[in-house]
Amino acid sequence: MPQLHDVDYTLEYPYTRTTGPVIGPFLTGLRDGRILGQRCGDRVLCPPMEFDPDSFASLEPDLVEVGPGGEVVNWTWVAEPSAKHPFDRPFGFAFIKLDGADTDLVHAVDTGGDPEAMSTGMRVRAQFRDERHGSVADVYFVPEADAADQVIEPGDEPVTITEHLIGLRINEPLYPHRARFAQGLLDGKIIGQRSPVTGKVYVPGRGYDNMSRVLMSEADEVEVSDVGTVVAFTELNPVQYYGQTETEPYVRCSILFDGTDQPVIGIDIRDMTVDEMRVGMRMRCIWRDPDERSVEDIDNRYGNIPETVYARFEPTGEPDIPADELKEHSW
Amino acid sequence: MVSLAEDVAIVAFEQTPSHAHFNDSEPAMIMPCVNSVIEQVGMDRHDIDFTIAGSCDYLSGMPFAFVMNIDAVGAWPPVYESHVEMDGAWALFEGFVRLQSGDIDTVLVSGSGKCSPGSYREGFSLQTDPYVHAPIGLDPRTQAGFQAQALIAAGKATERDFAEVVARSHANAKNNPNAQLSGDLSVDELLAEPYLQEPLRRLDCPPTSDGAAAMIIARADKARELCDNPVWIRAIDHRIDSHHPTLRDLTDSPSVRIAADRVGLHDGPVDIAELTVTYSPEEIILRDALGLNGETSVNPSGGPLTGSPFMAVGLTRVIELARGIRNGDGGRGVAHASSGPALQQNLLCVLEGDG
Repeated sequence: MPQLHDVDYTLEYPYTRTTGPVIGPFLTGLRDGRILGQRCGDRVLCPPMEFDPDSFASLEPDLVEVGPGGEVVNWTWVAEPSAKHPFDRPFGFAFIKLDGADTDLVHAVDTGGDPEAMSTGMRVRAQFRDERHGSVADVYFVPEADAADQVIEPGDEPVTITEHLIGLRINEPLYPHRARFAQGLLDGKIIGQRSPVTGKVYVPGRGYDNMSRVLMSEADEVEVSDVGTVVAFTELNPVQYYGQTETEPYVRCSILFDGTDQPVIGIDIRDMTVDEMRVGMRMRCIWRDPDERSVEDIDNRYGNIPETVYARFEPTGEPDIPADELKEHSW
Repeated sequence: MVSLAEDVAIVAFEQTPSHAHFNDSEPAMIMPCVNSVIEQVGMDRHDIDFTIAGSCDYLSGMPFAFVMNIDAVGAWPPVYESHVEMDGAWALFEGFVRLQSGDIDTVLVSGSGKCSPGSYREGFSLQTDPYVHAPIGLDPRTQAGFQAQALIAAGKATERDFAEVVARSHANAKNNPNAQLSGDLSVDELLAEPYLQEPLRRLDCPPTSDGAAAMIIARADKARELCDNPVWIRAIDHRIDSHHPTLRDLTDSPSVRIAADRVGLHDGPVDIAELTVTYSPEEIILRDALGLNGETSVNPSGGPLTGSPFMAVGLTRVIELARGIRNGDGGRGVAHASSGPALQQNLLCVLEGDG
């Protein structure tokens, strides 16, 4: 039988940023195997900046090559790397004063996992990754004695955009009320929560009644009908954003199940066109066979009644409810 | 010191325990705090003039998670409401400033965060410079490691000093029912532990925590009407150092020094200091920058090393100080909140009792 599972997902966004007159050449340099600093009076800033960090006066772009060798002036050892670090084995982060620069660059030093190899004053040298994208992550550092000579083929166009795929990992159990709601769907039941203050029934429950500011528990839960009324619908024409899996238009609707006070939103209809939908139409849930139900798409935030538990929603043939009577619930 | 247009006091406060994992939603965590402070002052919720919360969507792992949190504060029919993507201490700051206009009387402030579902190291690395720091995942613990190493290199502290901060914090937390960690630790045993972020060990770093806090503040006349023992907010100030750690002297905190001057910290006795010591070396820097001597009780609650629900932890410092003043442990003190890595941003709030 299908089972409940912990919530485990990664929320990702690709960020694209313009680079500007100083960071642009810096990132272009990294892609091409060179590290550039910005002149600031008689000093050289690396990482380069568009302004004097002491006076905040603007600086005309004036870049000069620094490194690839440098000296560690501060460091810390990362015993447990995060998924967003440049290495998946322990490594050092360091303030590196590159030869020819007067300020320090924060970057990663790979000593093969050996913290004993790190020290203040140690010499390091830049190494460039085989795949470079015009990002500060194109480079890393190693102890100077371990550095390999590299032949880097420069790219064609200057880097004017840098891309950064950010990600947030979320891992936690289903909250108790979410677990009971999801288990209900596996059992072919829709579980709601009845407010002990107002008597209103919410589906799915959130574990509280936000109107009355009261927490709700298992004692407040009720099974509700799987027959209801369409209170809103729309046609979705999938925009092909990052991570989109839909390609064809489809109908999404909200259904107010009998005996409840809050429509369930986000119910997807695949076997009817938008022209066949009506506010007020009576619909019944046709569940999938128990062995074919899944609640993998239900987490603690999203997921109401997913397509993975029902085969389709079928018009009951009853007369429509007048739309005017549904105004409270048109969401 | 800045003169105030309106005297403002804390009239009610509440916090959750610092949970290792709170197995329900953030609104469900905040709601009992909000209900408690409203009950303490005996007001109708809709008679509270302004509502403001602090939280972080990067922790929640959901865009607009802060909107869901409004479920907890009783926002229907619609209320006058705002949010900061900061610790609740900054929500308090906005509420305090809002009261200076003199046209409203009461503000409901809250702060909340759940660190347990995600990776705060990965999430907060996104708050660093997006070109040169975030793409290499430069996280707060790493920046704390740099700060610790800088203190050692400058001869301003040793690893033993860090361990002493940890031992004292855990011992103080024995008296705090909301603490997540507490107990008697030996400095030598702490120093025998392996490094997590050399030169930092695991207990030099905060536990992973979930929690919430709420408070009601009011203008003077209303404050006296609502409670018998208002705790006065004499001053608040917020200062920022560079977000490039390599451009800072990590062994000092110029922003704290400026803020301490602006709030007139030493214009009166400093009996209690509740400091956002997220990593043990920060206490050494803060004591120095605040000019504290042996007469000040520092983090009698145990502080964030014993429970650190990010986005509530700074507001909780204000609450712990207000509680200490109400209990008569001191007449005047300072609460400190921090944001950004390695004490990059600092807020100071001076509280004084009614005596």
